[in-house]
Amino acid sequence: MSLTSRSRLSILDKPLSRGKGEVSLSCFALLFSEVVQYCQNKSQTVPELQNKLHELGRKVGIKLIDLYFVREKNGKREIKLLNILLFVKSTLWKALFGREADKLEHSNDDENTYYLMEKDPLVNKFISVPRDKSSLNCAVFIAGIIEAVLTGTGFTAKVTAHWHKGTTYMVKFDDVVVARDKQLEER
Amino acid sequence: MVIYGIYIVSKSGGLIFNYDNNVPKIENERKFSYPLDIKLQVENKKIVVEFGQRDGINVGHVLYSVNGIPITGCQMDDGQDAMQFLQNKENYPVTLKFGRPKMTTNEKIFLASMFYPLFAIASQLSPEPKSSGIEVLEADTFRLNCFQTLTGVKIMVVSDPQQTGIELFLKRIYEIYADYALKNPFYSLEMPIRCELFDNNLKSMLEQIEKSGIANI
Repeated sequence: MSLTSRSRLSILDKPLSRGKGEVSLSCFALLFSEVVQYCQNKSQTVPELQNKLHELGRKVGIKLIDLYFVREKNGKREIKLLNILLFVKSTLWKALFGREADKLEHSNDDENTYYLMEKDPLVNKFISVPRDKSSLNCAVFIAGIIEAVLTGTGFTAKVTAHWHKGTTYMVKFDDVVVARDKQLEER
Repeated sequence: MVIYGIYIVSKSGGLIFNYDNNVPKIENERKFSYPLDIKLQVENKKIVVEFGQRDGINVGHVLYSVNGIPITGCQMDDGQDAMQFLQNKENYPVTLKFGRPKMTTNEKIFLASMFYPLFAIASQLSPEPKSSGIEVLEADTFRLNCFQTLTGVKIMVVSDPQQTGIELFLKRIYEIYADYALKNPFYSLEMPIRCELFDNNLKSMLEQIEKSGIANI
C-alpha cells in the first residue's frame, strides 16, 4: 500500500453545504414516534418521560449551534439577549420547521422570563395524547433544542413546554445573563 | 346518498374501529285491540316480536313504548310490567311502538369478526386464481365496500347503493389511518383505535363529503 502524494479533498476542505432543505415528514413522524415509545419504555411517570425527551432535544440542539451560525449568520456571534431570541424564533425555526414561530413575548411579572408561542408544533402533528397522560406535551423535545442553543451561546436558560394557546415555550434566563445584558445596554 | 357507517377490522380479525353516521331510525307506532294479533316474547331482557309481521313491524323488532310510556327492558317507566299490562283486557285499545333494535358494541365486534373469515373463504372459492376477497357486497337497501390494505387491515364502508366514489373514500380513510393512528406513539397495532386526531379528521372528511360530494376530497 503506497501513500499517494496526490491530495484528496477531505470533508474539512470542502465548503459547508447548504444541506438537504427538505426531509420527508412521514419519515420524521415515524422516527419521532419510535423515540417517544423508547423513552416511554424507559420511564415510569410522565415527568420522567418529559425529562428524557428534553434531554434528547438538548443533545440535538448542541450540534445545531455551530452549524446554523456558520450557515445563516456568517459566523458572527450574538451578544444581546433580544437578538438571540429573535435568532431562535425566526432563523432557527425556519431552518428546522420551514416557518417562523408564531409569537415571542416578554413576561409581565418576571423580567427573566420570555414566552415563545406556536400553535401547531411539527412534532405533535400526528400525536394524540391519551387521557391518562394529558399533561404530556411532546414539544418538550423542541424545548430541549431551544435550551441547548441558548445555553451554548452564552445565555444560560431553562426552557419548558406548556399547553397554553397551542404550545408555549417558557424561557427562563439566569439572573447573571439578564444583569449582563442590562449592563451592555447602559454602555 | 348517505354513508351509514365505517368499520375497520385488524389483521387478526378483531374490530378496531367503528363509526355510525346517519343510521336511519326505523320505528313504527300502531294501535292494537284485544286480542293482540302480534305474538310477543321476552328475549334477552327485551320484548321482541316473534310472530305476526305486518305494517312495517318485522320479526325481531323490539317493543319501545306502550301508550307513549317508554319501556326499559320488560318494565314500563311507570313501574308496571309490560307483558302483564298487555295481557289485561281492560287496557285495550293500546298504542304500541316497535323499532329495529340498535346494535350494541359487542354485536358489532361479533359481526365484524364474522366478516373476516367470509372474506378469506371468498378469495379461496373463486374460480379465478389470485383473487382478492369480497370487495363489494350489494343488497336492496345498502352496499358494503371493503378495501384490504397491504398489511391485511380491512376497511369497510356501508353506504347507499347509489353512492359513487367509495373507492376513493376508502383510500382516504387508509391515508388518515396511516397518518393519525400509525404515527401516534400511543397506539399499539391490532388494538382498538382511540386517537382523537383520527376521529376528528374522519368526522371532518365525512362532513366535507356531505357538503360537496366525494369527488372533492
